[in-house]
Amino acid sequence: MKKLFALAMAMIMALSMVSFAAAEDTTLTIVAWDVNTTGYLTAQKEAYEASHPGVKIEYIDVSSQDYDVKVGAMLAAGDTSDIFMIKTVPGLMNWNDAGYAMSLNDYIAASNYLSGFVGMETNYNYNGEQVALPFRSDFWVLFYNKTLFDNAGVAYPTNDMTWEEYKEKAIAMSGNGVYGAHNHTWLSACVNWAVCDGVNTLIDGEYSDLAYFYQLVQDLEDAGACMPYTEITASGLHYSGAFGNGNIAMLPMGYWYVATLINNIKSGDYNVSDWGIAAVPHKEDVKAGSTFGNLTGAMINKKAKNPDAAWDYISWLCSEEGSKVTAGTGNRPAWVSEGVADVMSSVDGFPQDENSKAALLPSYVAIEIPGDPNASAISSILGEEHSAIMTREISIEEGIEEMNDRVQELLAK
Amino acid sequence: MAQNAPAASVRPPKHRMGRLERKNTLVALSFIAPNFIGFAIFTLIPVVMSVVMSFMDSKTGAIFGAEWVGFANYQDIFNVAKVSSKMADGGFLAGLSYFFNRVDLGIALKNTVFYTIVTVPLTLMCSIILALVLNRAVKGAVAFRAILFFPYVASMVAICVCWNFMLMKDGPINQILMSLGSDFNKSWTADSTMAMWAIILVSVWRSMGYYMVIYLAALQGVPRELYEAATVDGANKWQQFWSVTLPQLRPTTFFASIMLIIGCFKIYDTVAIMTGGGPGRATKMLVTYIYDTAFMQFKYGTASAIAMVLLVIVLLVTVIQFSMEKKFAND
Repeated sequence: MKKLFALAMAMIMALSMVSFAAAEDTTLTIVAWDVNTTGYLTAQKEAYEASHPGVKIEYIDVSSQDYDVKVGAMLAAGDTSDIFMIKTVPGLMNWNDAGYAMSLNDYIAASNYLSGFVGMETNYNYNGEQVALPFRSDFWVLFYNKTLFDNAGVAYPTNDMTWEEYKEKAIAMSGNGVYGAHNHTWLSACVNWAVCDGVNTLIDGEYSDLAYFYQLVQDLEDAGACMPYTEITASGLHYSGAFGNGNIAMLPMGYWYVATLINNIKSGDYNVSDWGIAAVPHKEDVKAGSTFGNLTGAMINKKAKNPDAAWDYISWLCSEEGSKVTAGTGNRPAWVSEGVADVMSSVDGFPQDENSKAALLPSYVAIEIPGDPNASAISSILGEEHSAIMTREISIEEGIEEMNDRVQELLAK
Repeated sequence: MAQNAPAASVRPPKHRMGRLERKNTLVALSFIAPNFIGFAIFTLIPVVMSVVMSFMDSKTGAIFGAEWVGFANYQDIFNVAKVSSKMADGGFLAGLSYFFNRVDLGIALKNTVFYTIVTVPLTLMCSIILALVLNRAVKGAVAFRAILFFPYVASMVAICVCWNFMLMKDGPINQILMSLGSDFNKSWTADSTMAMWAIILVSVWRSMGYYMVIYLAALQGVPRELYEAATVDGANKWQQFWSVTLPQLRPTTFFASIMLIIGCFKIYDTVAIMTGGGPGRATKMLVTYIYDTAFMQFKYGTASAIAMVLLVIVLLVTVIQFSMEKKFAND
């Protein structure tokens, strides 16, 4: 009798273990940066967990400053986290070269994915292998301070404004402590507009197309319509604080600034109340609404513990459904659709005029710097010459010539 | 009484460690171990790995799985192909000129050596002068010593940001210079020539307090009798300084110059905060070049090769200095 009882107990225990195992949650580990301060990560986790019972998401936080370096080291050490967020294209290229990224081709073929990215996903495609998908695309827009325009009696910037009109408007808005424009110190904020034509790129080794924009910024500096580069670098002035001070009329900046702007206006830290966005200006021969941007994406680790669950998450994150969650936090998803744009413009604090809403659907988005083995080295060279031109240590022509010579020498190696 | 020397042919009996001795050795080793383990993990092993990596093409910082490329990284940083073609075309000097004016490594080397050559003597000079002044029983000497030492313990970022403000266009320093007749009014860090001087200025200002303290300690050790003898011999103050003080401070100067030279070759923080290596490549230093190559361009192999160049230079300087130690430090 005792034996029978013991056998029955053992069977019950074994069965209970099986049932526990079946009910056990799948935990997806995702490596990302600044988890606590990046609002969309929490929103994505909560939304996915709510709609996918049995799956738990755990973030591993890596500081944004050294993200690529630390993730490289983690992957090299055989880390088994399921998903790695992609911060830069060169970072992903290096990890893919080292064999850490899983090809998503089979998954995509089975689900007929990709339709909503309007070609942006090609930046994560190497030799026919799609190794990551984008879920955020921070293209650049023009922020403007409506109060300053109202006070000056100048018409708001429009979505089809040319760079010449931008210059005129900036000069018209300047004076009495107001700067008409703020071109931040980065090369992208000053001259990268040249790539919006879809022909020029920063890796082609020919930079005469940047001259027009260098001249434009220097003209604005000379006219007192924007703070000089030397002053911004010496004082370490951040673009967000500059626009937040309330004395800058127009600021070309990435879409990521929307969330910061809304939050800081709500908390009362910014001296800006009424603002809007417009498409970045365009050159005469470039289509209005053309801009450039960066991608943020996700890849599956080849050593992932749960590759299928990881794909399920990525395919949700990057789709219309996940994109609406991302858009709801004031961020720009990579998936382009009217539905997503509606969510973006319905965020509390987002300007409600038609112009600002229309600026959410750009006509063309070029990549800031394409994925290329030399991209980082080229960026370094361009950055050095950029600082020499902007401090006026060399003329624009000399700087462009230096860029051409140095990059072509690098490409010839 | 003569001692009995052991015969050369007789080997001493093999030493067997007693229990107490073994215990003592273990205690000694356990005291050394924490330091040595830390040194091995954070310095020794990375240095050895860096040497190996300088011959590899590593894009992720991992040695395993990286491709062995021989001297390709070294050829790359010295731009051997281009420099040798310049030498073939225009002679040795043309090649050298190309290396120091166009190649990243050459420019970084030139800038670092210039920075070191100016900063080291300037810092030593300022420290000695400050130490001599504050060694006397002047009013407020203790307060001044503390004030001058303060920059050394203050946050580097804060210091550099403050100096950036002071050296700005229309900033206080330019205003003073202009009132003295200068027509220079540009942010120092935005000027190819002045950017380097801005970094030198901040470096000297920051370290002179530290070396002043070292010199102050050294001055306490100069025997008074030497000054008395010099006075009796009719030496004036300047002669006393030149013939008594300075020679007596030689060991300290030797130590300070070694530390300063090595520190100067490793300069990074001041440059990164104040100029970012710019404008152009005007303040690109060896370490900023290493950082840029490794952590911005992800060329860990190439960066390791540059680090090896830096290692060889610092090693050479140290060997030369130590070979001169007898002459300069222990006269």
